[in-house]
Amino acid sequence: MCSNMVRCLGDGNTSLQKLATSIVFFFCLSDVSCNSVEQKIYVELNNTVPCVRLLNATHQIGCQSSISGDTGVIHVLESEADLEWPLSKGPNPPYMVLLESSLFTRSIMMKMKNESNRVAGVAVVVPNTSPPEFSPHTTCPNENTGVYSDNYGPNLAHCNTTVWNPRGNGLSYEEFDFPVFSLKEDNETEFIKQCYLDHNRAVNGSAPQYPLCAMQLFSHMHAVTNTPTCMRRNDINFSINPEMVCDPLGDYNVWGSIRPYNDTVFGHKENESVVIAAARLDSRAFFWEVSTGAEGSVSGFVTLLAAAQALREVTHEAPPTRNILFAFFQGETFDYIGSSRMVYDMENGKFVIDLDNIHSVLEIGQVKNLVNNLQSSTAGLSFLLVEPNVSQPLPPSSLQRFLRAQPIPGIVLADHESAFNNRYYESFYDNAANLNLTYPSDLSPEEQLEFVTDTAKSLTDVATVVARALYKQAGGNESLVNNIKADPKIVTQMLYGFLVSSNNSWFQAVMAPELKNILKPSPPEYYVGVAMSSTPTRLVQYLLANLTGAATNLTQSQCQKPDELPNESRQMYSYLWVQGIVPPNSTERDSFCVRASVRLTKAVSPAFELGEYASKDYSTWTESRWKFIKARIFLVASRDLEMLTLGVGVAVLFTSLLVTYFISTKADVLFSSTREPASAAY
Amino acid sequence: MNLERLPNEEKLTLCRKYYFGGFAFLPFLWLVNVVWFFKEAFVKPTYTEQLQIKTYVKRSGLGLLLWVAVLTTWITIFQHFRAEWGEVGDYLSFTIPLGIP
Repeated sequence: MCSNMVRCLGDGNTSLQKLATSIVFFFCLSDVSCNSVEQKIYVELNNTVPCVRLLNATHQIGCQSSISGDTGVIHVLESEADLEWPLSKGPNPPYMVLLESSLFTRSIMMKMKNESNRVAGVAVVVPNTSPPEFSPHTTCPNENTGVYSDNYGPNLAHCNTTVWNPRGNGLSYEEFDFPVFSLKEDNETEFIKQCYLDHNRAVNGSAPQYPLCAMQLFSHMHAVTNTPTCMRRNDINFSINPEMVCDPLGDYNVWGSIRPYNDTVFGHKENESVVIAAARLDSRAFFWEVSTGAEGSVSGFVTLLAAAQALREVTHEAPPTRNILFAFFQGETFDYIGSSRMVYDMENGKFVIDLDNIHSVLEIGQVKNLVNNLQSSTAGLSFLLVEPNVSQPLPPSSLQRFLRAQPIPGIVLADHESAFNNRYYESFYDNAANLNLTYPSDLSPEEQLEFVTDTAKSLTDVATVVARALYKQAGGNESLVNNIKADPKIVTQMLYGFLVSSNNSWFQAVMAPELKNILKPSPPEYYVGVAMSSTPTRLVQYLLANLTGAATNLTQSQCQKPDELPNESRQMYSYLWVQGIVPPNSTERDSFCVRASVRLTKAVSPAFELGEYASKDYSTWTESRWKFIKARIFLVASRDLEMLTLGVGVAVLFTSLLVTYFISTKADVLFSSTREPASAAY
Repeated sequence: MNLERLPNEEKLTLCRKYYFGGFAFLPFLWLVNVVWFFKEAFVKPTYTEQLQIKTYVKRSGLGLLLWVAVLTTWITIFQHFRAEWGEVGDYLSFTIPLGIP
């Protein structure tokens, strides 16, 4: 088409100018980006994760950038001593410091925090292999909202007896007024390092010359100061542009029971005694949303799901005297959001049972009455249970919130006696590798899903012990206890789905058709978030329903309106339409309706229900809102050159104004016609 | 409006209207009065109504200065202390900046 244009333009006047314009036009049509100067200057970084701002009743933590981004000259830090270049010696502040993960330590970050007028931001390269240990959480998790306080067990409060997370460096709970982003170890990071080596290195001790390679990070957070301030600013409707600045953290708790409860009848139930089996669902990391929580939370709730499945048969044949309620709490990382909400609901008659109905609590855990049950169940299994000393406090656990309300016998089952064994507590390294979840390298994803790893076998043993203990604790028939066994195949499939890839055939089969988009090729993220729709909650809800419920013959429309049928009741059960498996010789899924006594209850801190945003008793964590988050790198010129260009421009402007003025005043002299009119009248 | 073409009585009534209007919490009317009638009051050769116009202009000027002083003081105090006043500061604000206290 363009060659025709050349010929069309070419007939007649074959000037060089027309040829040139047509050639430029041709290139512009074929190369889409040629008209974008922005793409020639900036290189956008796509695989970055920011650190965001979180607030509670008294503080703000996390990172903040300025509203138009923070720009700094890139400096790749080589060692802690090299910090003096960005902090004092370097001639071109502010600097954007690029850290390898081994240098992402508390001392380096605090030094940069103190000199933050010379540091524009920090980028951390997160490698694929984990360092020996790293935990950005505090040493004493949830120390102010547990059961131990200055009034109750003061010698056990604030980790005076046992420091639970000694490796914790507390970085997640510090406040930085510059942005901190994480980068993966991939081509983009190599490009950044290459740019640094090309432009920013000092040659022979002399300062590097402009233009320098710079990075700009945008992560402007709207909320400020603390939760009462930001919630107040949310509510002001007098201002000209009402804007929400923060949202409370929260999601849903998942609970299910052996015998169903009527979902509309709340409060105390006469003669009802319940054994609660609890686990937590969520975890966190330094950067936003990237949290894998393998040892911290996944191992716990997978064990509980397997125990629930192991109990299904025996509780149908020989139901125990007491009911067993499986509870999965969300938001426990942030001052026990889920468990404090459930206890609050129980205290105020908004839950199907009451605190007085609770017989005991087993948080995949140990206290006097339960000890005998557990130890006798372990005969023939691969581990030994140890009861710690009476002066040992409870680790941070949901049970502490129940004890805060009422003395209830309870157990916390854990793999550590005093300090955590987890070397990566609440960090982005607490992943499948931390659980030693390894698969032989030649397996396809479907084969990996079915492969029973050693981790799965040991968690299956724990699940069997838990199931047997729950059955005995609930007063079940002693002779049937040894028939209870957890299924290692289910455990390994859950571990694969929760830690390697959630988009596998088994998860697809148990999920609802409208929710299949939440399944991704990577593991789900366990950060509780503010959207009330996190993937782990949904997965655990559908898994618990499939593992403890019954498949029915209902059609899809009957599944949505089961009350029309005589034997079904939406008040007693929840009815979920799930996709089902794909039979070998067809492409259509075998969908069916699952009837299970599995419910979701809101897990938002009672502080927000009561409006007590400065509460000391309940979690007050909120997450700030923001408009956009991005990162880019580009070459930056020296300030002198920028000022010179501006100065020259202004000078040209004034010169042209002056020239125009003089020309206009002397116009008659300059533009007088040189020829007199020929018709001079003589 | 060109003041040259108006007769002197109309100039006086105009000046008076602006002077009294400014008492309704409208200091800009006083500013207009001072700027517009300055030449008439002080520069032009004397005429009968000029004395009254002069007093109106002087009083408008005084009122204007008072308003400027009050507003400047209040604005400086508010901008400086709004963050520290917490709740009161937020309820007094028409638009609250994002991300800074």
